Order: sequence, then structure tokens, then C-alpha cells
Amino acid sequence: MSASQSAVRSRAEAVKVSRTFDWMILFTLFFVVLGGYHIHYMLTGGDWDFWTDWKDRRLWVTVAPIVSITFPAAVQACLWYRYRLPFGAIVCVLGLLLGEWVNRYLNFWGWTYFPVNFCFPSNLIPGAIVLDGIMLLGGSMTLTAVVGGLAWGLLFYPGNWPIIAPLHVPVEYNGMMMTLADLQGYNYVRTGTPEYIRMVEKGTLRTFGKDVAPVSAFFSGFVSIIIYFLWHFFGRWFAKTDFISSENL
Amino acid sequence: MAATTESVKADAAEAPLLNKKNMFAGAALYIVFYGWVRWYEGVYGWSAGLDSFAPEFETYWMNFLYIEMVAEIVTASVLWGYIWKSRDRKVMSITPREELRRHFTHWIWLVMYAIAIYYGASYFTEQDGTWHQTIVRDTDFTPSHIIEFYLAYPIYIITGVSALLYAKTRLPAYQQGLPLMYLVAVIGPFMILPNVGLNEWGHTFWFMEELFVAPLHYGFVFFGWASLGVLGVVNIEVAAISKLLKKDLA
Repeated sequence: MSASQSAVRSRAEAVKVSRTFDWMILFTLFFVVLGGYHIHYMLTGGDWDFWTDWKDRRLWVTVAPIVSITFPAAVQACLWYRYRLPFGAIVCVLGLLLGEWVNRYLNFWGWTYFPVNFCFPSNLIPGAIVLDGIMLLGGSMTLTAVVGGLAWGLLFYPGNWPIIAPLHVPVEYNGMMMTLADLQGYNYVRTGTPEYIRMVEKGTLRTFGKDVAPVSAFFSGFVSIIIYFLWHFFGRWFAKTDFISSENL
Repeated sequence: MAATTESVKADAAEAPLLNKKNMFAGAALYIVFYGWVRWYEGVYGWSAGLDSFAPEFETYWMNFLYIEMVAEIVTASVLWGYIWKSRDRKVMSITPREELRRHFTHWIWLVMYAIAIYYGASYFTEQDGTWHQTIVRDTDFTPSHIIEFYLAYPIYIITGVSALLYAKTRLPAYQQGLPLMYLVAVIGPFMILPNVGLNEWGHTFWFMEELFVAPLHYGFVFFGWASLGVLGVVNIEVAAISKLLKKDLA
């Protein structure tokens, strides 16, 4: 290969080639991250994300942000530090939501007939915008972890509130007081229905009444900060370009 | 003038840098095939997939399993064998333009890997969740498993290994050794398939249909993280492509 030879015939072709690679890279990154993020999320927080009667004020608010800040932190670590691209978190979240929506519609509804207003996914977009925004404006991993991580946890419930609120109104059914979401669960029986396995609000926090969601969100934000730090370094490790010699295998 | 005409003719005869036809045909192959698979599930999941002791289960699902396993072994052997057998033994002496063309072909493979990973790790894996929330299993080979574990996972493994083999046998950027993150991005998700052994072994002790987030499933989670190795692959590629284009983009 001669160093003086050029791979392209003109600057215009070079620009075109470069743009084409951008799109192919973005497509691949989007769908590979979607696959990894989705399998991670469905198996660490999935049950709370699948069903409205699991979307309570306590464990859903706690678990979902903690397990979902992982991939955004890792992808940000590569896209921001290598390329100064401030959309690592939103790429992950849009990918995850696309995978989930396609599935909830074509499979949860299309194959097993659960109505979409019973099995729609949680909204993670507000937290992702804030996480990317803080990274863009601050340019600091520590700031993004502490402020962005906390915001990720705190914003989750308000970000989902307009969607879930109508399903949290109380109804009386056969003399029992429950939420509309619980009533959906009673009508659509699943193997995850039994009360002994459904992890909803338990313990004395319930007696605090109105404070359940904010306390859970605050705790979730605290753990999200730690998880962000951890996954930021995972992201840096995954972004390595090292080669190993065949003899070492 | 004559020389210019000859040069233009040569350009017109030259293979395009990116073979878009191959890319769209490849993508269509996955999408149409998986569309058919989803149709098959919809029709024969409910009508023949509820009782593994029924004769129709053997006809529509176990036979599907046997056929797909043979087809996957044959496809993997032929494809990997072809890529290896037709390898370039003088890969370091190719022209920059040929190298660029091969990077495009490599990215067609990676785009296919992305589509295959999407169907395997996202589409058919979460689909399995809703099937188990609806139908209590009486076998390891449920209709959703026959598609998820034994069809969609092997397909992304075949595609991923093909991409890696293509890079290793045809691109100068991969001649300095084995790319660590490429191995992670391909071998990690591959390990999800052997992890099915743990999963099925566990399910013979505990039903656990109630909880998709059960710790028994964490093996899938761990190996799913390996998909992030794609970040390292992107970085290797960006460095190699930048080297080829830098002079002309400056």
C-alpha cells in the first residue's frame, strides 16, 4: 500500500464517504446498544416496567432508574470523551423505548392480548435529556454523575406521572378499595399476578402516605449517582481499542 | 482526451465503494424472515404450542427445532468456511481504495449484526417474557424458546462471527492481533446461548414464571453487557477510516 495513494477521488467523495459511514455507525450503535440495554433492563427491572399494576409509588420508582442509568452512563463515556457527541444517554433511551414499544404492541398485545394501556413502558426521556444536557454544559463526568444521576432518579416519577396518574385513581370493587391499575391486573391474570410475589409497597413507608414517591425517588437518585460512576468506567473499558496477540489466547 | 475517456470507463466499471443493493437485500432478508417467523408463532403458538405432550406439538414445534438446528450448523459452516477459505493472504498490500471498499463491506456485516442482535436480544427475548406470563411451561422447548434461544441467538452469533472473520481476514487494521472489544462484542452475546443451560437447569427446579427479574436470569444480563464492546469496534473503525480519509478531508 502506498502512502501517497488516496482512497478517494475528490474531497466531495471523501465528505460523502464520511457521512455514509456516520449513518452506518449510528445505525449499528443504536441497534446493538438497544439489544444489550433492553435485555439488561427487562431482566433487572422488567416486571415493574411491563405492567401498570406493578408501577407503584415505591419499588417501581426505586428500581427502574437505578437499573436504567447503566447503559446511558457507559455510552456517554465513549461518545462524549472520544467524539464530544452529547447524545449518549438519549441514543440509549430512544433505542430502549423503540425496542419496548415494538414489543409491547406486536407481542404483548399482538400475541398474548394484553391491552397496550396495561403494558406500556416507562418513560425515561426526561432524565436522558437532563443527563446529556449536563454533560454538554458542564463537560464533567463528576458533575454529570452527581447532578445528572440525582436528577435521573428524581425526574423518573414526575416524567411518568401524566401517563400513570389516571391509573392511580382509587376505585371500589367488590367492597375493596384499589387503584384502577390494580383492577386492570385483576382482569388480566398473569403468572406474575399473585400478591405474594408482586413486590409493591410494603412496610412502614406506606404509613407516611404522601411521602412515599419522593422518598423513593431520592433514594433512587442517590444510588443512580453511584451506578453512574461505576458504569462510566465500564464504558471507558468497553471503548478500548486494544489488540491481543493470538499466542495469548 | 483518450486517456481521460479510458479513466472514466475504468471508474464506471469499478465496483461501488458501498454495495447498497447487498446492504438492503441483507436487511430485507432478516426482516422478511423474522416477519414470517412471527406469523408462524402467532398461528401455531396457540394452536399447537400449549401442550408439549400433544402430537401436534411434535409436528409444528419440535420439527421446527430440529430443522433450524441443522440449518444453522450448515449455514455457519458454509459461511465461516467461505470467509476463511477466500481470505486475502496479502492483506497488507491492498490499495487504500480497496481498503475503503472493504471497510464498507465490513460495515454491511456490522449493520446485519445490529439487526440480528435487535431481533435476538430485544424482540424475541421480551416476547418470551409475555409468553411465560401467559402460559405456564411444561417443557424447556416452549414455542418462544424454540425461536428465541435456538433460532434468533444462533443467527446473531453466525452474523457476528462472520463480521469478525471478515475484518480479520481482509482488513489491514485488524492484522496487529485480535481486537479485544470485537471479541467481547461477539463472544459475550454468544455466551448467552450456553447460559441457556444454566437457565433451563434452574427452571427444572423452580418455575419462577412470576418474576422475569429473577436472579436465575442474571447470566443473560451479564453477557448482554458485552454488547457494549461495539464501542471499541466503532473506535477501531473510526481510527482506521480517518487514516484513509484524513488527507482528503483536511
